Amino acid sequence: MSRTNTEHFTAIYDFLQNKRADETTLADVLELAEISARSMQRFYEDMDSAVYRELREIAGYIESLKREIGALKANEIKTSRIPAAGQELSAVCKATEAATNTIMECAEAVMAADSREPAAYKALIEEQMMIIFEACSFQDITGQRISKVVETLQLIDERVSRFAKAIAARENSGHSSEAESAREERKRRLLLNGPQLNGPETSQSEVDAMFP
Amino acid sequence: MAVDLTMPVLVVDDYNTMIRIIRNLLKQIGFQDIDDAADGTAALGKMREKRYGLVISDWNMEPMTGYELLKEVRLDPGLSKTPFIMVTAESKTENVIAAKKAGVNNYIVKPFNAQTLQSKIEAVFGD
Repeated sequence: MSRTNTEHFTAIYDFLQNKRADETTLADVLELAEISARSMQRFYEDMDSAVYRELREIAGYIESLKREIGALKANEIKTSRIPAAGQELSAVCKATEAATNTIMECAEAVMAADSREPAAYKALIEEQMMIIFEACSFQDITGQRISKVVETLQLIDERVSRFAKAIAARENSGHSSEAESAREERKRRLLLNGPQLNGPETSQSEVDAMFP
Repeated sequence: MAVDLTMPVLVVDDYNTMIRIIRNLLKQIGFQDIDDAADGTAALGKMREKRYGLVISDWNMEPMTGYELLKEVRLDPGLSKTPFIMVTAESKTENVIAAKKAGVNNYIVKPFNAQTLQSKIEAVFGD
């Protein structure tokens, strides 16, 4: 408590010391109220300015958070970017599957072809080879689709990184949902590691050595 | 190849393309009786209805993986002796060790070729 406030309370104390209860008038009560109000004024002023500073800092933080959330464009990511990327990947799967089926159909047709008539056999082989060449054109389009998905992932990475930096985000341990936790537990328990990025971690010859 | 080519073979994979590839390779080897299933649960159902001479299974499938199928097969007295080859992109050493411990007869890492498939089948049947 400040020295000024102590002086005010001393004034109240002196006032009460010099007054007897039966002598107290309305003017005395008003004077006492005025002294009391003055004594509390500085306290409230001090408190107000501290609280005001705190509130201004909080308001500034909220304002910057709003700016960063706006820059994140979470709704755009959720409603536009991610669905579009999903559609691109789905189209890639369909195109590769269709091309693979076409190529396998050609291979099966060639395998089943009757080679006893050379001219007809040659014509069939040439026809099937042309279909295989055409089917392989999927690679160009799927390459472009995958580039679009990579671009989306980079954009999300940039926005999320900026947001995390702006709010000084700290990583929580564990998983964000029960479903994620269950997926990770299943992967760990059933050794679902998936294909390795740079080819098989254990080569076929290394595997063979384990099955003598 | 002294392998009995008349024995029924069950191919288990959740990708039709891979089933088709393996089916064609098996036909080239000489197998004719080839069935397929899209996951471990479906495979187990088929194995309990028909006696297969060989199971060729992928690892990563849902709901039942090839690894779980292998363990179920080895626990079932009526199926436990069925030769089982894993054909998978799971190439970590821990996967190979776990499959071997669970009783797999051989292990093929994807991508693979016809020669590898044939040689592993021959190895399983002791040729």
